[in-house]
Amino acid sequence: MNPLEVLAQYWPRLLDGTLMTIKLTLLGALIAALVSPAFALIRVHASPRAQAPLRLYVSFMRGTPILAQLFLIFYGSGQFRPFLQEWGLWAFFRDPFNCALLAFALNSTAYQTEILRGGILGVPRGEIEAAKAIGMSRIRSLSRVVFPHAYRIAWPALGNEVILLMKASALASVVTVFDVMGRTRQIFSKTFDFSVYLWAALIYLCITAVFVLLWRQAERRLSRHIDARHKTQSTGQHFKDTRA
Amino acid sequence: MTQPDIILKAEDIHKSFGNVEVLKGITLEARNHDVISILGSSGSGKSTFLRCLNFLETPSSGKVTVHGEEILVKNGRPQNARHIEAIRARLGMVFQQFNLWTHRTVLENVMEGPIQVKREARAEARERAETLLKRVGLEDRMQMYPAQLSGGQQQRVAIARALAMEPDAILFDEPTSALDPELVGEVLKVMQDLAAEGRTMIVVTHEMGFAREVSSEVVFLHEGRIAEQGPPEEMFTNPKTEEFRRFIAKAM
Repeated sequence: MNPLEVLAQYWPRLLDGTLMTIKLTLLGALIAALVSPAFALIRVHASPRAQAPLRLYVSFMRGTPILAQLFLIFYGSGQFRPFLQEWGLWAFFRDPFNCALLAFALNSTAYQTEILRGGILGVPRGEIEAAKAIGMSRIRSLSRVVFPHAYRIAWPALGNEVILLMKASALASVVTVFDVMGRTRQIFSKTFDFSVYLWAALIYLCITAVFVLLWRQAERRLSRHIDARHKTQSTGQHFKDTRA
Repeated sequence: MTQPDIILKAEDIHKSFGNVEVLKGITLEARNHDVISILGSSGSGKSTFLRCLNFLETPSSGKVTVHGEEILVKNGRPQNARHIEAIRARLGMVFQQFNLWTHRTVLENVMEGPIQVKREARAEARERAETLLKRVGLEDRMQMYPAQLSGGQQQRVAIARALAMEPDAILFDEPTSALDPELVGEVLKVMQDLAAEGRTMIVVTHEMGFAREVSSEVVFLHEGRIAEQGPPEEMFTNPKTEEFRRFIAKAM
């Protein structure tokens, strides 16, 4: 079969797999994005002793292969089935999609926590002081000053992390999740036509390209205050600057 | 009233960093319309003292009272820490490094406090912010970001930001020290106008001219203590302590 015929025949499955990959990646990244700000704050502010468990978790997640983590959850949950049933959690772990999602969310949380920690450390001290001095509560200065800066600083690295997660999500096919890679393997086992892997690679490439585009758009929005300065300088409409 | 309004009172403020005692018991009172200049060589503790007034630095011990709200500190622990935010909202602060929020426009910087802290309506906050920015001569810079402004302009925005909170008093922490010499004047001019309209101000500064011409009281700190204190004319023409004599000789 020529490659186009493969595509013509199997595109509905590949599309289905694409949606699964996107769903798995976005959900995993999103869960991690919801949890990581609190973790990052703990990493920045808590005493070494208080944050020891968190550091252990982060080291484990960053120091072991994501495939091992996936197997640990997928096969491990099978081992503990009686317990999980007792706790009413078996319904969750029985579904390979849930296992994969949990593994990716846990993994990405660790990375996003560390990335965001770097962002928080990069926030100008003086601006936090100004927020305090004007009478802002701690929560308010976090939401109005600290996190807007931290996310701007962390943004490119966070984008990278999501891309890595998207590619790692192909591992889910090993535990019978039908994402792009899962569908591709399925099709290959029927046709023995390697060109389907080419299509799979192309799909991943497209997802990444679209994502990078969107991410860059968001970055531009977040960096308006920095771009503005360059604009002033390049149009020669430069207002006297003390540091110039 | 028999006694003029006391806006701010600091009593027996001590502050140590580790084993080094930077402030060794400072007491200071600011009445309404006072403009107090705090002078002293570097390391005298003048900035630390100013920062203790709004608890950016927690004193080791002492008492700060702002308009009836009182915070007592013992062993480095404020007894009623919940009042700290209220006190800060009543005291404006202008920093040496301006510390504008760089991700917000000039206008947003000035509106931020009233909206976020005093829960004012946007329209109201915006109107006052525009008026204040006009007053400091920056009406044509309102939509710009701080990075597009000169140091002098940024500092004037910072003053407008402090004024927007309608504070009982404004603390200035060396407001002109980070500026190029030719930009110092525009900031001092704004401060002078504020003094003239009766704002209560406490100013840590190296500007002898300002201390002498504009302030109603000068406080000279030396090694964590008030070495000399009084009306500027008297202090500058007739310094009582050897330290202050030497200090002005060097500065003039």
